[in-house]
Amino acid sequence: MSLREIFSPGPLPPAHLTRRRDFWLSLMGIMLLAGLLMGVERLAGGYWVHMTCLAGIYLVLASGYNLVNGVTGQFSLAPNAFVACGAYVTSLLTMAPAEKALNFILEPLVWPLSVIHLPLGLALVIAGLVTALMAFGMGFTVFRVRGDYLAIVTLGLGEVIRVVANNAQGVTNGPLGLKGIPHLTNNLWWTWGLAVVALFVLTRLAKSSYGLALKAIREDEGAAESMGINVFWHKMLAFTTDAFLEGMAGGLLAQLITTISPSLFTFFLTFNLLIIIVVGGLGSMTGAALAALLITFGGEWLRVVEEPMSLLGLSVPGIPGMRMVIFSLLLMACMIFMRRGLLGKSEFSWRWLLAVLSRRGPRP
Amino acid sequence: MSREILRVAGLTCRFGGLMAVDGLDLTLRAGDLAGLIGPNGAGKTTVFNLLTGRVGATEGAVSFQGQAVLGLKSHQINRLGMGRTFQNIRLFGELSVLSNVLVGFHGRLEASFLSAIFRLPAYRREERRVLARAAELLELVGLQDLARERAGSLAYGQQRLLEIARALATGPSLLLLDEPAAGMNPQETANLAGLVRRLRDDMGLTVLLIEHDMRFVMSLCEHITVLDYGKVIARGTPEEVRGDPAVIQAYLGAGLELGQGEAVHA
Ligand SMILES: Nc1ncnc2c1ncn2[C@@H]1O[C@H](COP(=O)(O)OP(=O)(O)O)[C@@H](O)[C@H]1O
Ligand SMILES: [Mg+2]
Repeated sequence: MSLREIFSPGPLPPAHLTRRRDFWLSLMGIMLLAGLLMGVERLAGGYWVHMTCLAGIYLVLASGYNLVNGVTGQFSLAPNAFVACGAYVTSLLTMAPAEKALNFILEPLVWPLSVIHLPLGLALVIAGLVTALMAFGMGFTVFRVRGDYLAIVTLGLGEVIRVVANNAQGVTNGPLGLKGIPHLTNNLWWTWGLAVVALFVLTRLAKSSYGLALKAIREDEGAAESMGINVFWHKMLAFTTDAFLEGMAGGLLAQLITTISPSLFTFFLTFNLLIIIVVGGLGSMTGAALAALLITFGGEWLRVVEEPMSLLGLSVPGIPGMRMVIFSLLLMACMIFMRRGLLGKSEFSWRWLLAVLSRRGPRP
Repeated sequence: MSREILRVAGLTCRFGGLMAVDGLDLTLRAGDLAGLIGPNGAGKTTVFNLLTGRVGATEGAVSFQGQAVLGLKSHQINRLGMGRTFQNIRLFGELSVLSNVLVGFHGRLEASFLSAIFRLPAYRREERRVLARAAELLELVGLQDLARERAGSLAYGQQRLLEIARALATGPSLLLLDEPAAGMNPQETANLAGLVRRLRDDMGLTVLLIEHDMRFVMSLCEHITVLDYGKVIARGTPEEVRGDPAVIQAYLGAGLELGQGEAVHA
């Protein structure tokens, strides 16, 4: 079951007939989002701004990751490496030279990095490119293998990046990490700007001829190859596109938390993203986005269960960690009742939403 | 006589101790409609896999359109103009019928990645053209009304037709069909024969097909090669092959085949 199957209004009109209307609806959706963000910024506290930023970053990370794992069907476990790369590159490029000198006490930062000081936008693009380049290099080894082996190799590479970050004292400051990364006051707008662009690019990509080719590789790699698709380069395309977006999102993550160290980019980061894309529905971009929001905010809403409360006259003391128990139960329920995730392999579309809304009463 | 399109010389493929294909020679001319038959396990599918680069050859040479193709990757061989279907249907099951055909066009897509994402005019033009061509191909194989169904949900016979449409989308000059009639009822088989003939007569394709349904092969193909244990045991017109003692022996040896496909009424 997926949402798409629970609310299935029957055949939808072909996409090309409603393209103009859908465009305006999307535009209105973006304006509504902007209004919401403005509301969060003005009315809610710094904590909610922080959470909203985090949700946006996770949205980008998860939907990018979904391009590789869900759409192309390549079970990669390397996104922590991409996020780490983006975070370090952005931080090193945007921190003031004096601040960097304060950080690197054991060993000075290598030369060009020690004096470079770039504006955030440029730094983010460079971070994206550097991460994409790293993915490109990794791809040559990674895509020699498939399936479980691919998972193992990418898991290994993710760990390698962390070890490198731990030991390249002169570049990453080793286990000490980087502190005093400039805090971005309007991070909300950067993050959600990136989120909108990323989601636009990714959904367009998934629907394009290239996206079809990626899905074909997921369905049957050999058949795709026999139909004239250069499987290796298409996997590379997905991998580097993902890396570019995750590198930028990693950069924004660093600007949000202002302190990074290698221990932040362990397998657990990958694991969180994996949960998100599985819950959203492997292969669905909008599903990944929806799940990213649900899981980041859901974790916060679930905090109520850890507070002391009175149940049927009994006063129950707050149980720390209860949140994770409930979270796990919810995940299990999701896997039992919605085995293909919230949206399965399908995408959210205005055509679908309007058809659901306009259908009155239960299905005959 | 028309131009030579495929020349196979001494093609050999060994799996461990098993000679799956043993010194195959085969020549096809443009516009040929040829058959490759033989008992189960004779090595027919392996020949297709060798030609399309899915399996590496142990020895031999294959020249397609004058170009040596052994050693090339499957997608490269496909782009030279060799399209194929699979005996064990290998559609992109979760994708729609239309999408399966569209994937076939992707290998020859000219629009770049970025122009596809931003739907630049060049991409949109190409997309329109490809959509129209895909609709034509679906119409050709008679699946136009099922375009939006999930490919995996089609009946076997329809899936085989979709495999043909998908292969045609890649723009082949030589089409390799691996047991296209398997799982079809007599009516579907008759329609398929008509389709294959049209592909050759109207679209000018060269067709090499593997099939167990002897009536289908004998009535459709003009030239037949018979394999047994990887070796060619006979070749010629349907009449010549039908009466060949070696063929009768091979099929009698594999008792089941006889009843199944009415192989020999010598
Ligand atoms: N990839 C492979 N690895 C090992 N043996 C194979 C492989 N493909 C086919 N074979 C073997 O080669 C022989 C010929 O198989 P195949 O070409 O599928 O026969 P046919 O299509 O004529 O029924 C069979 O004995 C089969 O088991
Ligand atoms: Mg076979």
